[in-house]
Amino acid sequence: MSPLSRVWRWIREHAVMGVGILAVAYMLIPILVIAVFSFNDPKGKFNFTWEGFTLSHWENAFGIPELTEALVLSLQLAALSTVVATALGTLLAMGLVRYQFAGRRLANLLIVIPMATPEVVLGASLLSMFVFIGVDRGFSTLWIAHIMFSISFVVVVVRSRLIGFDRSLEEAARDLGATPLTTFRTITLPLLAPGLVAAALLAFALSLDDFVISNFNSGTTVTFPLFIFGASQRGIPVEVNVLATLLFVLTAIAMGFTVWQQHRAEKLAAIRPDDDVDTGLAALASGQRPVAGEPDPRPGAAS
Amino acid sequence: MTRRSGTRRAKWLTALLALGAAMALAACGSDLGGGANEGEVTTAEATGTVGGELVISQWPFYIDRKTVPEFEDEAGVKVDYIEDVNDNNEIFAKLRPDLQNGESADRSIIVVTDWMAKKMYDLGYLQDLDKDAIGEVNDNLIESLKSPSIDPDRAYTVPWQSGLTGLVVNTKEAPDVTSINDIFDPQYKGKVTVLTELRDTVPMILQGNGIEPEDATTQDWLDAIDQLDEAVKSGQIRKLTGNDYTDDMARGDAVIAIGWSGDAVQLQADNPDLEFVKPEDGCLLWSDNMVIPVGAPNPDAAYAFMNYVYDPANQTQIAAYNSYITPVKGVQEIFKQEDPELATSQLIFPTDEYTGDCSTIDNPPADGVTEVEERWQQLISGG
Amino acid sequence: MKSRRFTPYALMGPGLFWLLVFFAVPMAFMAIVALEEGSIDTGFSLTWQWANFSDSVGSFDTQFLRSFRFSIIATLLCLLIAYPLAYAIAFKAGRWKNLMLFAVVAPFFTTYLIRTLAWQTILTDQGQIADFFRTIGIISEDGRLLETDSSVIMGITYNFLPFMILPIYASLEQLDERFIEAAKDLYSSSRQAFLRVTLPLSAPGIVAGTLLTFIPAFGDYVNATFLGGPNQAMIGNVIQDQYLRTQNYPTAAALSFVVMAVILVMVLIYIRFAGSESLMGEETNP
Repeated sequence: MSPLSRVWRWIREHAVMGVGILAVAYMLIPILVIAVFSFNDPKGKFNFTWEGFTLSHWENAFGIPELTEALVLSLQLAALSTVVATALGTLLAMGLVRYQFAGRRLANLLIVIPMATPEVVLGASLLSMFVFIGVDRGFSTLWIAHIMFSISFVVVVVRSRLIGFDRSLEEAARDLGATPLTTFRTITLPLLAPGLVAAALLAFALSLDDFVISNFNSGTTVTFPLFIFGASQRGIPVEVNVLATLLFVLTAIAMGFTVWQQHRAEKLAAIRPDDDVDTGLAALASGQRPVAGEPDPRPGAAS
Repeated sequence: MTRRSGTRRAKWLTALLALGAAMALAACGSDLGGGANEGEVTTAEATGTVGGELVISQWPFYIDRKTVPEFEDEAGVKVDYIEDVNDNNEIFAKLRPDLQNGESADRSIIVVTDWMAKKMYDLGYLQDLDKDAIGEVNDNLIESLKSPSIDPDRAYTVPWQSGLTGLVVNTKEAPDVTSINDIFDPQYKGKVTVLTELRDTVPMILQGNGIEPEDATTQDWLDAIDQLDEAVKSGQIRKLTGNDYTDDMARGDAVIAIGWSGDAVQLQADNPDLEFVKPEDGCLLWSDNMVIPVGAPNPDAAYAFMNYVYDPANQTQIAAYNSYITPVKGVQEIFKQEDPELATSQLIFPTDEYTGDCSTIDNPPADGVTEVEERWQQLISGG
Repeated sequence: MKSRRFTPYALMGPGLFWLLVFFAVPMAFMAIVALEEGSIDTGFSLTWQWANFSDSVGSFDTQFLRSFRFSIIATLLCLLIAYPLAYAIAFKAGRWKNLMLFAVVAPFFTTYLIRTLAWQTILTDQGQIADFFRTIGIISEDGRLLETDSSVIMGITYNFLPFMILPIYASLEQLDERFIEAAKDLYSSSRQAFLRVTLPLSAPGIVAGTLLTFIPAFGDYVNATFLGGPNQAMIGNVIQDQYLRTQNYPTAAALSFVVMAVILVMVLIYIRFAGSESLMGEETNP
């Protein structure tokens, strides 16, 4: 094979990965900028032009109490609403995909329309209702609102996973005598896991990011985006960049930790010496990796 | 066949009935009845005892870090100082459902600009102030702010800080800017921003056309908007902004902006070329005001706070922090001793001569408001 | 598998209840408002003003069309970028899978606002990117990157990319690689294998992704606010302004319902065209 066609072959094999990496780089550019500017030393309030390197804002990262409070509050809010929204959304998706029932069209409509509704209207109408009922606005109205707008997104993500789901495993479990609940717990849920994780990440991000709906329904509470928006009108303090970068780095470390755990699990677990087998947790979850002592889930394999 | 279509019809009927029921229910409960609150305007009476909690809704970065804690110590009041007023209209929308119901959403003081204060007052959302309770304010309010057009007796407003609307200019890239009409100068094409707030931008254009906002007719307003629209469509005007024109100026994406006096001072710290220019055709003078909403708890604490910040000694650190016009007498004297350069700043202690040609009127004529607003909406959304 | 009669309702009950109480009911309020007329000063009254709908669409048709254009282009761009990326993560990443997934979602944790403002810094007239584009002639000497259609579309694409990536990834990830191998054996090229096997099997993910991207993009206003000028204002900006600035609640409500209706119609057409009933739930896996 000529060198040129070998190069071409290499490109084609790695093209997809190449595009993937470029895309990831594209996604991370603003993060890089944010991180770089967290070391900036502006004399005044505006953090747009590079004026000098300093670590002072990092040392003083939690020095603006309102900012730190707002961030902590937003994280709590996001965690709470993610858990509930993912749970409710997954149940909804299961009901929709696996059962026939009257009112399916209506249910679908009810789920899709919130995604299509402009935020300002969602937020304002919810506020009007809360005032009408006489509910005090604060943390509780915030998480009610956050769960409301997250459910639809969770349903859509989980549903696409459920549709391609291989039911034969569940059927096998039934045949072996497992109750529906046990089947759900030991088979369905783990196999759904990547879809649930994706949906939960989406819900978490949506909550952390939300400005308009939160603004209307927050009462006197200040969330992180609310603080930022206020600050953006008058000059964002460098500490905001610091906290944003910190958040990113911490999540990266958490991720790196799970990758490292995977490595160790691979080394310790007994695996079949088969090159094609992906030995990660992800593979286990998608049923591609055999677990010692259980029938090989891969189609076509001898049990 | 008949059975299936029958079921389908039944389904539609049920759906329609449900919808109708929901709407009827909603119509009963719809609180967007709008219009002014019925009844008399109440006065927030002071009882004399100061204590408890005080919730203030304020613009961001309008106060230094020490004033609130020091006030808390002195007055024995716990203050919840929330910086959630980013825009007059936004805070209006956020609080309106409560105010409509006669409630203040926990807040005892809100700080809004003149025209929004008047709007809220006319809708019955604010209370009159107990003048006997704000002695310091009465004594120390500077003369020029004693009788504004929106509230001639200062019945419901206490100025927080005052400011000028004019031009914020990058004097290096745009030297010799003296008139509002310089924003239409082709050499600055694509480098000009104006404010999205109708009441900030159009009166300045009117002045540029030689028309005093007090005397302007609805047609004058519409013509001014057309003039701006042309500039927007041609790309002369880059963007309409809120407070964030400072970002564009700081980055250098804009060299002339319609903006506010205090911001220029803050921009200078990072870029000394940025200056506030008072146009020779005129300017706008406004105040952000502390107001007490209906149903506000603890007016005593509110009055205590107002008195506190009107003490020249306390006002000094606020004035130094934000570089806007301080409404309190006696602060200039303190500055003369401690910071003589700032004491002569026309932006913090303007002379009457300096603000003489500034207009305080910024509303379109009452009969033309709707038309003007609609035309403006088309302009800001490129329609 | 037998479908028990009450299980679906039990499963869906809590979620539907939440949406009913905290979405449907407030929307019913809004429907009433859309039929009112008046102003904030004189008061609003229910006059069954159906003309609000047609009037508002007539006044703001430019912005509707603009939103359409921006969100469709952005969705297509998202698809073009997201699919290879999702594919890479699902099949080619191996041990880097979780890390890449994280890299995709992590930008989300830095708040929409900060990210978009970071783009302002990156695309500023005085910046390197703008200079580069001027050098290679894509923009003119006194041209700019910000406050243009392109910057807004780019912002929308950027911000909604994870919405496209995650569903496609979730869908691809559960494909057994042996299907793909078998397909490669059956068909002459890997391209054919992809087009005939992988792509159709990942269709639910694509449908979910495009809808999750297009729907919020259509009503978006943040990107147009920070990265665009008045000539880039989308219908979301108009609704925002009508509600907050002009306090013209009937128009704002009417416009919102029109937006919702437009999106629903597009979704229905899309599903018919795509031949996939996955989103509207016709497709089941009982």
